[in-house]
Amino acid sequence: MKSMSHSAMKRLVIALVLAAFAAPLLAQGRGDAQVRPEALGRTVRRPPPPSGPAPRLADGTIDLGGLWLGGGAIGDLEAQGGLKRGDIPVLPWVKEYMAKLDPNMEPSVHCLPMGIPRKWAYPWRMIQEPVPGKGAKRMYMLEEGGIHSYRQIFMDGRKHPAEPEPSWNGHSIAWWEGDTLVIDTVGFNGKVWMDRRGFPQTEKAHTIERYTRVNMGTLEIVVTIDDPDAYLKPFTVKFAAQLSNPQDEIMEFICQENNQVGIAGGYQQPHDFPVVKPPPGAATRP
Amino acid sequence: MRSVIAVAAVVAVFVSAVPDAVAHHSFAAEYDANKVVKFEGVVTKVEWSNPHARIYVDVTDAGGKVTNWNLELAALSLLVRNGWTRTSVKPGERVKVEGFEGRGTNTYRVNATVVLTPDGRSLFASGGDDRPER
Repeated sequence: MKSMSHSAMKRLVIALVLAAFAAPLLAQGRGDAQVRPEALGRTVRRPPPPSGPAPRLADGTIDLGGLWLGGGAIGDLEAQGGLKRGDIPVLPWVKEYMAKLDPNMEPSVHCLPMGIPRKWAYPWRMIQEPVPGKGAKRMYMLEEGGIHSYRQIFMDGRKHPAEPEPSWNGHSIAWWEGDTLVIDTVGFNGKVWMDRRGFPQTEKAHTIERYTRVNMGTLEIVVTIDDPDAYLKPFTVKFAAQLSNPQDEIMEFICQENNQVGIAGGYQQPHDFPVVKPPPGAATRP
Repeated sequence: MRSVIAVAAVVAVFVSAVPDAVAHHSFAAEYDANKVVKFEGVVTKVEWSNPHARIYVDVTDAGGKVTNWNLELAALSLLVRNGWTRTSVKPGERVKVEGFEGRGTNTYRVNATVVLTPDGRSLFASGGDDRPER
């Protein structure tokens, strides 16, 4: 790079900018906006998401419909959630627990759920079940992957049960704060890995998700996780989902069909996915 | 100049980077980034299935010994959205493969990156957020 003159550098940068703009336009001109020619399927090349105003339902609430891409952590909750390495305030036992984790024990590679806030790594769709004049009574999140499943979210004013049945997705209630959907969830089963690094979620976890459709094509997702058995204090991660192409739909993804994970790596598939709890005598949140 | 570079970087990311290539499992837990393999062989079976499509290929070594390799591809949803169909590669066809071998000993399993078909089509085979780019 040092040998390149200033003008040559400038020409290169301008060429890169033009190429970046032109590539999707050229692709659209061929009637195929997604396929890069040199290796079929190498990259899904998409036009920028639409930026018009967020749509609304007949009752005036924001329409969260559409197929969304992204918006959650996959490998690293801190890096992908807008935090720096070490920002998540783990209790000492969690640090020791994560240092000893076997990546092959990750539930999702064995076709078990990814949980909150990780599930949005795969395409997903929000379904609002309307009640005339009253907004949605329930919402459902349909998830293509991680795993091919759903979440149900109650919006009829009910509270959490006193003793919710422990589950992967927990018990979710929701309400609107202005144009932001707020989902409050408790009742987790203590088995979720919040990313591939294995940040745990104990049965005492409580999550608050805030969904704001800032425009037609972008959904901001802010998640606060409060888990007194695992973290010193609540922490917040932020993601953004992007509206998929209008012609895209959820596709079937039955992970259990032909899951051969572990064979190439030379290890056995585990059958026990323990509930994660602080060990006896572990230092707890002050 | 620095600002021009910054603008170029932002624009390039904006028009192209959408996180579609989500793998079902960590690449690093299963495959070895240092074990790059390239071979040619005959397709014996195609499993059009989830969480990964698989292609089985008979590879004959210099001594005439035939080994059946198991190629892991991406999830069907990713392949289909990227232009694959279940007949993109068919049993009996001769293909060239590039990829990374499994960490296990003699598993004959490959995380395929590119599959080259006899008619010259180059098929991207798999994703993975933690897999090295090739």
